[in-house]
Amino acid sequence: MPKRRQSVDSSRRNFLKGATLAGAATLAAPAATQAQVAAPKADIKKALPPGPRQIAVETQPPAKDPVNQSSSGGDFMVDVIKTLDIDYLAMNCASSFRGLHEAVLNYGKNTKPEILTCPHEEIAVHMGQGYAKIEGKPLAMICHGVVGLQHATMAMYNAWCDRVPVIVMGGNIMEANKRAPGAEWVHSGVDIGAVCRDFTKWDDQPTTLQHFAESMVRAYKIATTPPMGPVFLALDAELQENPIPDIESLRIPKLAKVIPPQGDAGALAEAAKLLVAAENPVIIADRVARTPAGMANLVALAEALQCPVIDNVGRMNFPSRHPLNQSFRRGPLLGQADVILAIEVNDLWGTLNNFSDRIVRTSRPAIKPTAKTITLGVRDLYLKSNYQDFGRYQDADLAIAGDGEASLPALTEAVKRLTDDSRKSAFAERGKKLAAAHVAMVDRAKSDATIGWDASPITTARMCAEVYAQIKDEDWSLVGNTIRNSWPHKLWDMNKPYSWNGVSGGAGVGYNAPASLGAALANKRHGRLTVTFNGDGDLMFVPNTLWTAAHHRIPILYIVHNNRAYHQEYMYLQAMAARHGRGIENTKIGTTITDPNVDYATVARGFGVHGEGPIVDPKDLGPALSRAIAAVKSGQPALVDVVTDPR
Amino acid sequence: MSCTMSRIASLLAAGAVLVLGASLPACAQDAPHGDAANGKKVFLADGCFMCHGRSGQGGAYNGPAPVLAKTQVPFDAFKNQLRNPVDDMPAYSEAVMSDQQIADIYAFVRSLPGRSDPKAIPLLNN
Repeated sequence: MPKRRQSVDSSRRNFLKGATLAGAATLAAPAATQAQVAAPKADIKKALPPGPRQIAVETQPPAKDPVNQSSSGGDFMVDVIKTLDIDYLAMNCASSFRGLHEAVLNYGKNTKPEILTCPHEEIAVHMGQGYAKIEGKPLAMICHGVVGLQHATMAMYNAWCDRVPVIVMGGNIMEANKRAPGAEWVHSGVDIGAVCRDFTKWDDQPTTLQHFAESMVRAYKIATTPPMGPVFLALDAELQENPIPDIESLRIPKLAKVIPPQGDAGALAEAAKLLVAAENPVIIADRVARTPAGMANLVALAEALQCPVIDNVGRMNFPSRHPLNQSFRRGPLLGQADVILAIEVNDLWGTLNNFSDRIVRTSRPAIKPTAKTITLGVRDLYLKSNYQDFGRYQDADLAIAGDGEASLPALTEAVKRLTDDSRKSAFAERGKKLAAAHVAMVDRAKSDATIGWDASPITTARMCAEVYAQIKDEDWSLVGNTIRNSWPHKLWDMNKPYSWNGVSGGAGVGYNAPASLGAALANKRHGRLTVTFNGDGDLMFVPNTLWTAAHHRIPILYIVHNNRAYHQEYMYLQAMAARHGRGIENTKIGTTITDPNVDYATVARGFGVHGEGPIVDPKDLGPALSRAIAAVKSGQPALVDVVTDPR
Repeated sequence: MSCTMSRIASLLAAGAVLVLGASLPACAQDAPHGDAANGKKVFLADGCFMCHGRSGQGGAYNGPAPVLAKTQVPFDAFKNQLRNPVDDMPAYSEAVMSDQQIADIYAFVRSLPGRSDPKAIPLLNN
């Protein structure tokens, strides 16, 4: 064992003289006494030489104070994490988890999990959110349990609302007498999970390594059981850092993933009966597809009924060009519907009602009073009270608790069993009309897209058409979009489970850039071309995401939809000013991102990302995209800044 | 009932902010003279473009905002939608937008090029 240096230089002695004496009484009372006696003599210019006991305190390790160790709790934690097949540990480094950090690097060889260096905890969690939706499994992140966790919470809330598993861990120092003065006190808490408990499925603070093993496996299991969601574990620093006292007694529990629950067979049969008998049924889908099988299962049901599908795009639920995709005809379809099947729809009231955002807030149903509503999903199985992400209560005639994707095959079989030749014929006729309506909808969208085709700022239709033209023959994956940019869903051929990756969930700004990067990380191993539309306002929250993209060489194409504003808020403010009949011209104050305009291409280059733009002339967009896509295909991230019309 | 009034009646029956995008026969002869150049200035200064786009291509606020380019909506209905809008479109009182300014905006949006044939644009045929 290496010994401590026997000589102590003068600076260290001076430090001890100035800073340590007051607190050293219990360790070296005689020395402290010496100092206290010496202190009143103000005319003494030179420090007294230390006595023998003081020298001993400074130069000899106290008994039972080893400086090396051969095992650590962090090593065992790595073993536990490895059993869960967690590929990545996203983090911004922090001393409260230095034990686990070192163990991941040197004991775990920085593989499974591999560390993702993130310049903000919100980036780390959002990367996990985007990653899980593509890869179908969670990654883990770790942060300072107090200050880092507060940074992480916005992203945890988005993941909660989006029903996405992310395993969040935070370092803490539980024993007060073990905390060093200063940062370790302000970075410790009695119950650090309290800050995120309202929007996590479960949390714990293990006090032993065996406790950690069981809680980590439990956390994974809970996070990945529908309805999925983030979980949180507080990790005591001493537990991570100190030697393992009883290594032979430790055991890593076995993970048995919960089979998602299928809806009650009798209830599904009743739902099938209503759907088959309906003249104008409608299926509404939101967060249905949680595996690659989900989309195919929904297509099978829709085709069995020749029933229109309204996709709320919470997941890649239904192919965009399928003739039964009637997402942009929701008004007339809901208005005439006699049976509505809502699968994994969070805000069903908002879908089935028209709400007026006026001085007197009013609403009216978008459906007939006689319409029968069936709900299928796991939403009712787990709710919390404080945050109101569950939406307004909506009547239902038949509410089936069951995972949507898991229940679809049984529902489809029940529909087929009940469909006689007469109904088959009726369904076929309905399907023809819907197919014609779909074609008309697409034709209308294309016609609308021509307006302002050559305008500058560039229209969002032109921007999306230019992008699609260059990726359509690739194995592409659109993993993010800007508010109300519906052109990809109207005009692009989205037909694979990864053609689209859903939305933020909580509408917390700062989601898109890092969540898209997490999705790109998952797509990388499949060789897909990842594309995302990123609002400039969103990117301004977490532009440093670009550094993580460059550092980890994650190929992704960011298209900045740069309307130089927090545009939705700009419009809201305009509405407020118009309501008062005053100052509409002032509404750009506090809502626009101008003066100076941000040059996102230069920002990107500063972070090591290929940057193009700002593109203001639509004729320049195609060549810029071509160069950027070439960079992405070579394994780099790239960004194209497109100066656009607002929407 | 005048051409304009009959259009208003049908528009109110149709409801919704989509009225501005409705495809109806023009009654441009009912519209007061408007200055399209000034209309463009007001369209941009008072934020019409925020929901409807600088080219009148339409967009979105809380819901879809209709296409305004080459609108076929009669002037009185157009003006009524600005003064007493249906759905979530903000109301523009005379304090912030005069009748003449509305006429100018109307002239501007009717002067916009509007749609072209999408088949002539290869990027829209992928």
